[in-house]
Amino acid sequence: MPDLKLTVNGIEATVLADPSTSLLSVLRKHFHLTGAKYACGEGQCGACTVMVGGEAVRSCVFPIHNVGQKYVETIEGLANSAHLHPIQQAFLDASAFQCGFCTPGMIMASVALLDRNPAPSVEEIRAGLAGNVCRCGTYSRIVKAVQSAAKAGRNA
Amino acid sequence: MPEEAGGGYEHQLQRLEFGDDITRREAAKRLQAGILFLFTVRIGEGQETTNPMPLLSSRLHVGEDGAITVLTGKIECGQGIRTTLTQAAAEELHIAPARVRLIIGDTALVPDDGGTWGSLTTPQTVPVIRQACASLREYLCRYAAQQWKMDAGEIHVSNGRIRHTDGRTLSYRNLIDNKAFGAASIAGARLMPASEWAVCGTPMPAVHGPAIVRGALKYSSDLQFDGMLHGYVIRPPNYRCRLLSYDASKAARIPGVKIVRQDDFLGVVAPNEQAAAAAAHTIEAHWSNEQLGNPDTLFSDLKRNSKPPDAKAGGRYPALIEAGSVDQGISRAAHRHKASYQIWYIAHVPLEARAAIAEWRGDWLTVHCGTQAPFPVRDEIAKAFQLPPEHVRVVVSDTGSGYGGKHNSECELEAARLARNAGKPVRLAWSREDEFERSYCRPAALMEVESGFDSEGKVHAWDFHNYNGGAASLTPPYRIGNVRAAYHASISPLRQGSYRSLAAVGNTFARESHMDEIAAELKLDPLEFRLRNIEERRLRTVLERAAERFGWGRVRSGNGVGYGLACNLEKGGHLALLTELEMDGAQVRLRRMVAAFDAGAILNPDILSNQVEGAIVQGIGGALFEQLKFDSNRITNGRLSEYRVPRFTDTPEIDVILVDRRDMPSAGAGESPITATAPSIASAIYAASGKRIRQLPMLPAFEN
Ligand code: FES
Ligand code: FES
Repeated sequence: MPDLKLTVNGIEATVLADPSTSLLSVLRKHFHLTGAKYACGEGQCGACTVMVGGEAVRSCVFPIHNVGQKYVETIEGLANSAHLHPIQQAFLDASAFQCGFCTPGMIMASVALLDRNPAPSVEEIRAGLAGNVCRCGTYSRIVKAVQSAAKAGRNA
Repeated sequence: MPEEAGGGYEHQLQRLEFGDDITRREAAKRLQAGILFLFTVRIGEGQETTNPMPLLSSRLHVGEDGAITVLTGKIECGQGIRTTLTQAAAEELHIAPARVRLIIGDTALVPDDGGTWGSLTTPQTVPVIRQACASLREYLCRYAAQQWKMDAGEIHVSNGRIRHTDGRTLSYRNLIDNKAFGAASIAGARLMPASEWAVCGTPMPAVHGPAIVRGALKYSSDLQFDGMLHGYVIRPPNYRCRLLSYDASKAARIPGVKIVRQDDFLGVVAPNEQAAAAAAHTIEAHWSNEQLGNPDTLFSDLKRNSKPPDAKAGGRYPALIEAGSVDQGISRAAHRHKASYQIWYIAHVPLEARAAIAEWRGDWLTVHCGTQAPFPVRDEIAKAFQLPPEHVRVVVSDTGSGYGGKHNSECELEAARLARNAGKPVRLAWSREDEFERSYCRPAALMEVESGFDSEGKVHAWDFHNYNGGAASLTPPYRIGNVRAAYHASISPLRQGSYRSLAAVGNTFARESHMDEIAAELKLDPLEFRLRNIEERRLRTVLERAAERFGWGRVRSGNGVGYGLACNLEKGGHLALLTELEMDGAQVRLRRMVAAFDAGAILNPDILSNQVEGAIVQGIGGALFEQLKFDSNRITNGRLSEYRVPRFTDTPEIDVILVDRRDMPSAGAGESPITATAPSIASAIYAASGKRIRQLPMLPAFEN
């Protein structure tokens, strides 16, 4: 098994793992970052969403050899110690969760969505996040959270 | 009343009789320094419970820092108990919510509050905790009275303190230094009436919200212990199999790998997950296969294999409800209608697949997991290993929800088996496929309904039979003189069990669809028709309020657009749900739903509306497309790419009206709001297309 260098949330580490290992499993086991969740393991639900090189990926089906030189960013790296990221704050303000198991993935997918489209319509939010499942059914609240984060971003 | 206010934890925990010395010490660590109070509480009459009020126990801990910890056997699965129990405790203790902590679901420490099911936390656990907290407040007042030689009635707690006119103060933490004050009986400490609530009734944000949005909340599947090993279970190829023989010789030669077999259970333990999986794949197992029966004849089989209703089964959901004479009522009615309804099996699909870590010390076992039912799971495991229950400690983390699907010991028991001789903690995590195939599902059911009614739209007779589903929501919320409503238990090909609101989804679907059909036959407006048959004030109110907000009657179905409604009264929750949708061939697009819900005095309106919205959305899946399919051997769509769940694009705009009845006891509300979704959609589909769909899920009916 080769050594692979990964930079996660600004911290570089060397990982001894098969290159086909999923990024999700490396994040959870080697980095002890458990914010990204396993829920389906086949790219269907978005609970494992993290950013690689600024793009949202399904880390459960993303092999570590595809990371290359790109930075990996997880939910744990989004806030700085005192302040939540505006999207985290918007989720909190809208109580856009119940059990919260989908939330890290939802937030990362929302970050990517607003990067692409800083002023999405309701329909664009729904379509943009359609790959993320919230089994507790808090979709309306998530849409509101993303809308208000977008608005706050425009006013900033 | 505090049973005991003295002694160290070791002494008190000894009295609780659990675990070995190490377990007790570990448990005591979770409590930090302070004093533990044990209460026995008899909650007020008039609550919705089955038996005469039992004596329930409650535990509160006062810490050196003055924080008060509520210990509860209920668990947090997104329904918000961390927050509502914090509110309830803060309200009665007269302290700031930030001073309240919770320890949940650790069977070594918390009282047995039953499983987290049946929407019982609000009607049962909240009153017990409130009573315990009010008693502690009263106890503090008595202590102050004794210290200051005053009358306890003149003493008041405010912001966690009692102030003497001369400036001296006492707070809860002073109780720690005065263990000698001892046990006391405090009967009927005054509870804060809902009209005076300052913390309850407010939309306090989830206490663990910041941890959730930071990705820092630890669920059972996130736990990692130093030195733990990993388990892997060899699954049979089909749904119901017996292990005949196996060859694990290759796996047994791999260093660090242990094979575990017990009856039909076969698994391996290894130092890491990959090694466990790799070892497991070298094992050749031979299984016998038991056929599941023919899915094409499921409903006739369920009926054929059913038993007559058990008239003696009382409890919360009697299996037979009778009033007047149904046969006469139907034969004398001017009009009759008869139809049957079917609902298929569905899966809970909690987003978090189960995980458990089990660790043995001799005959003492600790299991960390995410079950909804810590004590029942403890008892199941103890029974499986023929141990006294106090030998097993179950510690529950927050769970990525359950919806009624995480009541049994499945993953937990497997982890305990794997760990039995491992000498270290063993972690077992279920895959999504395990979740679909190894857990139990929501029962399929056949409902046969016959009714008799007059031309004015009054229903006089109601004959309702549920096969295999269950008895929840059997009683129609309508004023009908002659009723027979029966639940016939049957034999199910799939493992089935509890689900959010139990059988109320199927029974409400059948009943409300049937009512809709009568209205159509009489050419009556479905709302007007409901109101002619409802006497219950609160149910009328939610229907009227939802209809008004929706604009019912001002809009007419047509051009592929349909408006529908349904209502239900279940577990103290009064619900009306109106739907607007659009149809294009086999496509159904939900546009808008308006719900009105009255579950008594509202503890937290934001959590309540979140529950109502979420339940409606979950109901959409079962109504339109969720279906756990099987053939004669196995589940055939047991993965998320094959089993469709509701997504953003399936969700309409949802408007929730909450009716706050401060004069009524609070009912639990995590379940009942799911019940009106399917019939409300069915009603709107009929209005849009003229097609009456009597099966759930409904979309397959349009597919061919
Ligand atoms: S766990 Fe990766 S998409 Fe579901
Ligand atoms: S909050 Fe539970 S899955 Fe989204």
